[in-house]
Amino acid sequence: MSAAQHQALVLGSVSFVAFLVFLCFLLTNRRTKFSVFAACNLLFVALMFGAVALVDLSGGRAEIMVAVMTELPIVLIVAWVCLALAGGLPVQLGNLPAEPVARRPWLRTTLGSAPLVLLLSVGLATIVGLIWPSPALRVYAPAPTQFLVLKASIMAPEGLYAGFAALVFVMAARAPRLKRRFYFKNLAFAVGMACIASIALESTVFAGLRVWLGGEGRRAILETLNTLEACLAITCILAFTAGLSLRYTPAVATTLLYRLQTGWLRAQEQFESLEWRAVSSGAADRLTHASDAVVAACRLKDLSESDTQKALATIRLVAVMKDPSGETQHITPGAARKLYELQEEILCDDVLASKISWAAGWRSRAQEPQTVKSAPLHDALKAALDLVDNHGEGEGVRTPPLWHYIVAVSAADAKMIDPSHVSMQLRDGAEHSAAAEAYDAARRSLRKLDDHV
Amino acid sequence: MSVDVLKRDLTGPFLARLAGLWRPFSNLGSARSRVDGSRSLLTAAEFQEELAILGLSGRRFEPEDYSDALGDYLNISIGVHVIPDSWYPELSRRLALSGLLGELRYSEQVNMAAIFVPGSLPPLVLTLTILHELGHLAAGDLLIEPDEEFEEDDQQDEKAKHTTLPLKRGKKLARGNPFAAESLREREANLRASYALFAGCLGDENPYAHDMYDVL
Repeated sequence: MSAAQHQALVLGSVSFVAFLVFLCFLLTNRRTKFSVFAACNLLFVALMFGAVALVDLSGGRAEIMVAVMTELPIVLIVAWVCLALAGGLPVQLGNLPAEPVARRPWLRTTLGSAPLVLLLSVGLATIVGLIWPSPALRVYAPAPTQFLVLKASIMAPEGLYAGFAALVFVMAARAPRLKRRFYFKNLAFAVGMACIASIALESTVFAGLRVWLGGEGRRAILETLNTLEACLAITCILAFTAGLSLRYTPAVATTLLYRLQTGWLRAQEQFESLEWRAVSSGAADRLTHASDAVVAACRLKDLSESDTQKALATIRLVAVMKDPSGETQHITPGAARKLYELQEEILCDDVLASKISWAAGWRSRAQEPQTVKSAPLHDALKAALDLVDNHGEGEGVRTPPLWHYIVAVSAADAKMIDPSHVSMQLRDGAEHSAAAEAYDAARRSLRKLDDHV
Repeated sequence: MSVDVLKRDLTGPFLARLAGLWRPFSNLGSARSRVDGSRSLLTAAEFQEELAILGLSGRRFEPEDYSDALGDYLNISIGVHVIPDSWYPELSRRLALSGLLGELRYSEQVNMAAIFVPGSLPPLVLTLTILHELGHLAAGDLLIEPDEEFEEDDQQDEKAKHTTLPLKRGKKLARGNPFAAESLREREANLRASYALFAGCLGDENPYAHDMYDVL
């Protein structure tokens, strides 16, 4: 076996082992589009090196073609990585750029040009090699200057792009507040790409030494560089393996997020804005007096501001549902139930429920932000549905809060709902009597106030 | 939304004449350019890219932070004016009857945008309305020359419906050009608002922010 075949056997074995490792990824849930692509390339490299190890392909233009073919997969991997970092991959493969690249248009353009520049450089190297054939596969044989041109025309851009990619991975790893797993993942890829850049540099130096170095120590130096290349290749594969094995499962799934963005948020906004329009424009006629009385009754019973707001939201909902106008025709018991169910879905997810919030006003950081749970609409939807659309479920099990009784009494008084239905549903008890008393007192005081005005 | 266009100077009439002469030639290729200039609606991933440009990706932020960052990026001053209409029920009534939840006014002369919203809006609607108007600024919707010949038609094929128009001047945050159809511009502003609300709430738990650190 010649020295070239021996070197091909080493690199082929490394590539084949790497292919087997990547194949393991493909068979597990850690599979990514990149791991599939890398596995295919590694298999191709392993086969190419295997062919060189088994058959002596040295001599003539065939040697050049084989040498270029063994470089091609690595060039393709570098091109893929650069394109992925620049967000230039097709949508199906994931086209979001790396965070540091998104903020730097020049870096994006540079990385995006990688496939074109690299393939052109491979083309140029092939042309140079075919015009001036050189012993590309005979690793220790003296080579003409054209061999250095061939090697450098591939390795210089490859090393440059791999270096850029390594730099981007380091920048991504250094981002503040980054999850630990992403930190190590990006660091691993940075090491992998730095190894590819180093191999490119080492290959160019190796080619230069083959052209210019002579004497006794030549072989020893070239052997040392070959060992270094094999070590770098192994480190690179290990780094990529580590990077790909580190997976992070987000606490909030993208599919759930999409459903909430297009389902819950749109429904809640539509509900609240239509209700605001109906209430502000006076479309719900019976509402004004009823809501004033509800607020006054809640204050008489010393209920908290939060409960008062829930009571107010409930009476508004009942009024809008019972007295639909052209605009508020979408606020139906069915739509309300659907929205309530979506809210319940969010509340079942602890992470989402604790995170989703919105400010109580513009530039009002001092005020407590509202959440799905704390916003008056959530409890108001349930209460309004109980009053308007109760089909008997849950009756007698739940004891409603006092504000619910006050709204029920007020809605019945304003003829928004059937009074007998309220008595039956809420049962005449101490809470109901207290609510009725508070409501009557509130009405009397409001009437007195009106008389004075 | 409305735009106060730049006052024309003395070169205005001359340029207008030149434009008039050029129009018949430019119209020759208009159908083709319309089809070429089309895109789909903004996705959450694309919005994440915009947040990265503003330096807000993976961070929890309030609409105020988004407004400040957007203003800095576009190099304009953005003012949000909350009208205290709850003190004046008649004003609330008129605003509600008008059907407008908010209004964006933009002056190119002074590089200033002003958003007006009624203070009586429920907090979530107020937040989303402000983010919606900011979305128009991010998309560059105020910087296009509305195409008077463009008609919104339900029968149009999808590509024609999603036609975009180039900016006449100024800077935008979005990568794609604004849509020619007003309904699509409004839909996209709604999408931007909902993406912004969720991204601001989730911060580093946002799966789209993770994707920017997990490109392989």
